[in-house]
Amino acid sequence: MSDADPPTLTDVTETPLPLSAVADLAERIETNVADVIVGNEAVVGHIVTALLARGHVLLEDVPGVGKTMLARSIARSVDCRFRRIQFTPDLLPTDVTGVNVFNEKSREFEFQPGPVFGNIVLGDEINRAPPKTQSALLEAMEERQVTADGDSHNLPDPFTVIATQNAVEPTRTYELPLAEFDRFMKKLELGYPDPDAEAVLLGRAVGTHPIESLESVTDRETLVRARETVATIRVEKPVRSYITRLAGYTREHAEIGVSPRGSIALLRAAQARAGLDGREYVIPDDVQTEAPVVLPHRIRTTGREDAKTVVSDALERIAVEPS
Amino acid sequence: MSTDTGRSAKTIELGVDGSVGSRTFRTLALGSIVVLTASYVSVLREVTRVVGGTELLLALVGAMFVLATIVARVVRPRTATALAIVAAVAGFAYYLEAAGTDIGVVSSVADEMVADTLTLATGLPLLQMIEAGVWTLAFAPAPVFLSWYLALRGRYALAVVPGTLALYFLVLTGDAETIVTLLGTLAAIGAVGFGELARRGGSVGQADLVAICFAIIVALSLSVTFVPGGPATPATAGGTDDGTLEGAIDAAPERSGIAGSVDLSPETRFIGTSEQPTYWRTGVYDRYTGSEWLRSGQESEFDGRLTPPPGEYETVEQTVRAESPLGTIPAAAQPLSLEGDPIEDATVSSHGQPHPESTIHDGGEYTVQSAVVDPPSDELETAGTDYPEEIEAHYLQQPESTSSAFERRTAEITADAETPYETAITVEQYLRESYEYSLEVDQPDGDVAEAFLLEMDEGYCVYFGTTMVQMLRSEDVPARYVTGYTSGEEIDDDTYVVRGLDAHAWVEVYFPGHGWVPFEPTPPGDRDDVHQDAIEEPDPDAFEPDDEPDEPTEDEPGAPEHVQNDSADDAGDDDVPESEETEPEPEPPADTDFDTEPDDEFPISIPRETVALGALFGLGLAAAIRRSGATGRARRRVGIYWHGRRSEPDQDVERAYRRLESLLARQYRPRRRGESPRRYLTALADSAPEDSLPHDPRLESVLEGYERAVYGGGVDRETAEKVIERVDELTRERLPVVGRR
Repeated sequence: MSDADPPTLTDVTETPLPLSAVADLAERIETNVADVIVGNEAVVGHIVTALLARGHVLLEDVPGVGKTMLARSIARSVDCRFRRIQFTPDLLPTDVTGVNVFNEKSREFEFQPGPVFGNIVLGDEINRAPPKTQSALLEAMEERQVTADGDSHNLPDPFTVIATQNAVEPTRTYELPLAEFDRFMKKLELGYPDPDAEAVLLGRAVGTHPIESLESVTDRETLVRARETVATIRVEKPVRSYITRLAGYTREHAEIGVSPRGSIALLRAAQARAGLDGREYVIPDDVQTEAPVVLPHRIRTTGREDAKTVVSDALERIAVEPS
Repeated sequence: MSTDTGRSAKTIELGVDGSVGSRTFRTLALGSIVVLTASYVSVLREVTRVVGGTELLLALVGAMFVLATIVARVVRPRTATALAIVAAVAGFAYYLEAAGTDIGVVSSVADEMVADTLTLATGLPLLQMIEAGVWTLAFAPAPVFLSWYLALRGRYALAVVPGTLALYFLVLTGDAETIVTLLGTLAAIGAVGFGELARRGGSVGQADLVAICFAIIVALSLSVTFVPGGPATPATAGGTDDGTLEGAIDAAPERSGIAGSVDLSPETRFIGTSEQPTYWRTGVYDRYTGSEWLRSGQESEFDGRLTPPPGEYETVEQTVRAESPLGTIPAAAQPLSLEGDPIEDATVSSHGQPHPESTIHDGGEYTVQSAVVDPPSDELETAGTDYPEEIEAHYLQQPESTSSAFERRTAEITADAETPYETAITVEQYLRESYEYSLEVDQPDGDVAEAFLLEMDEGYCVYFGTTMVQMLRSEDVPARYVTGYTSGEEIDDDTYVVRGLDAHAWVEVYFPGHGWVPFEPTPPGDRDDVHQDAIEEPDPDAFEPDDEPDEPTEDEPGAPEHVQNDSADDAGDDDVPESEETEPEPEPPADTDFDTEPDDEFPISIPRETVALGALFGLGLAAAIRRSGATGRARRRVGIYWHGRRSEPDQDVERAYRRLESLLARQYRPRRRGESPRRYLTALADSAPEDSLPHDPRLESVLEGYERAVYGGGVDRETAEKVIERVDELTRERLPVVGRR
């Protein structure tokens, strides 16, 4: 009862976008988002690279700093299907993935796609839902398909989840297991805006909210083609070695270090970062830019050191070129 | 001492960062032990070369090596040390057995050993020992065995001990030359150093330290003379100076050197009164090394009487008054008794030649009675060859190196001689007639007697005397070399003035039933001329052609060479009554010894040592420099400004970038670990003023080229050249002095 989509995860029929167009595309999205989101250019850039690198993003921060607004702005900038799931303690897995419904007319069960079937899915306050529901989303993120009653339903392409979670009220949330954290390419924090940015923010809050007037600057197809291009960006051996050495460092200096999945994520993110610069090869700087958001949430430390310190130490101590 | 087995198993072979396996160091350490062993064995070999037994010595040393190698596998160190001590004791016991009777000074065996050793350790050269060969053979095995054994067991530091002790003992005896000592010392240090490295698994970098140690030692030894030199030069006898004939002959009481060119000193030595003119003998030598004469045996105290010759003799009484400090007791051969204050504590050699304990000062006077042996020639003809054993044992010695050519030539010359006497006369005549007299000769490198007989055509008394003795010995005629003065100038009845230039050397030959009979191989006529010149022209500036040859006049009136006169028709005593000529200036300025060319030995011996030391020193210096990292810095420094040869484009670009980075590192700071090139340049640009190097747009293109080469899959030749050019520009603009545009 599937939609008979091609079995591949990506739509290979699309021809890759020229590299310069990728950089241009990214810039347009960033500029567009900047109309709504004041400051936080780095975070916006990270989300765009994640988008290009086929990754999912977890935004974590205190409430009210614009996590949802950011996700919505990104989604609106691309002309594609945007879905939003508000996670609550009583949300059921099928509320996310969809369910088979008996069609009286055809006398058959029909799959009713859930909100996860979107190109960009906003999972708001994901840690408020019980683990079972979280898992449903995370499985979809990993598999890029949804299974209902034994039938698999492919998710659309592109498929990117931007989830948010609150860093407060830990007693009323379900902490995501580390294994599930791993599925997010990046975990980003917005932080409070600085006074100037906040002033600008307040000015915009007068009258209609700018997001309502946000136009899309690209479409689904272009995004797919851009992803195609990014995937072909060259990663030479010195860079690969650099990534493995970074990962190795975290494994030596933390209870649980970066998994190979994490290394792959870092490599892809670095590719996208190079694409953002319109460069057809990855340089260590790309890796260094991505590592602080790609790696820490995959690391569990024992003592006082937190994961971010481990990563920054790794960047400081691991030589860029193999000696 | 039993912990060393399995030590090699514990050593770690490090394979990274230029470290070297312990095997290499072990080889080096063992090599050092071999060099150390070679150093003292070479000294011993020098002894056996003179007295015989080289093959035996080398065989013994080889056997010790083999034995030690075998024993090292099966015997524990304690046992081996005991073995070595037993071997040493046995060896010395054998030596004492062989030599005990000859050394009369000591009585008990223990005393004897201690006394001998002490005497040796206080500077008695080995060759002066009567049984030097036996001593050598007794001495060698223990240290060779022990050091090799211990080295094989991995106890390098301990292994060095017996070898070093042996070497330094030889230094104390004065037999080990500076260069040998130095080599031995370095080898000892090398053995310890490399041994340690082998045990601990060191690296080449640590081996540098050993080289530095070498260099330090060489430098020290060059500046402080910390390594004891060769044989110490005792005060020369009679106030003579080096460079004079007298000084060369009487360099030391127990040895008589053979020099190159010499001068003559006209200074008056002593005034002797004698009933008849005789040669004044001051020294007797029996052992010939090829380049000098030594007196074996020890001095004994003089008890007032000496053994008279076995046959008939005529007693001559002489009185000697020293005119300048005398280190000898000139007297006609063969002195029988001595009287006088200055010589109360005189000693007498085993050859019957008295020596003063201390210098006889001006005016010191003594009387001596001598037995002058002057048998008629027919009696000598029939004296036969029934030599006492002792005479044969000591007066037929020839260096092992004596060539067959020398012996052949001697045999040819003496082919017609049937008796020892005829042989002696023939040789004497041959030398007198075939060679010219000259004080200006280059000292030959090898055996002096051989060189004189076979190659040279002129020389002076030392050469004639030496050659004659060795020729006779090769014909089995016991002979010895004696030194002293000719009769001197008769200034009054029976009163003779003897000057430094009268110094002379001649020959004594042994005849059974008669004793030692003097012979005079030096041609008489020429010497007199030379001698006269020296007296008449003591002006140092004028010496050039004439003054050279002043030595003793062989033809002197009082010449002891009766023998030759009998048989030889040549102008013996009478032909040159030099007395007239000598009169003119009896007392020329005292210090007019003219040193003509003391340079002979220097150009030969010093450069070799210098080169060796220089090489060692240079090695150490290089190691030190390398260790200090100066070479690396220099290379990097130069490398900034000069790209050098091209290779692959990618590598060229990489190298060019590194040059740029070195430049920046010197000017600003080095790139940190973990800092990417781009980040580094950005950081520099952030902190540097606007128009400085980090803001130069060319940096960006170099960086891009670099990134492309390393991360972007490579660059083409053209790009590479462009990058190199940029870097060349950038670096040269910042070249300290030159190259600025």
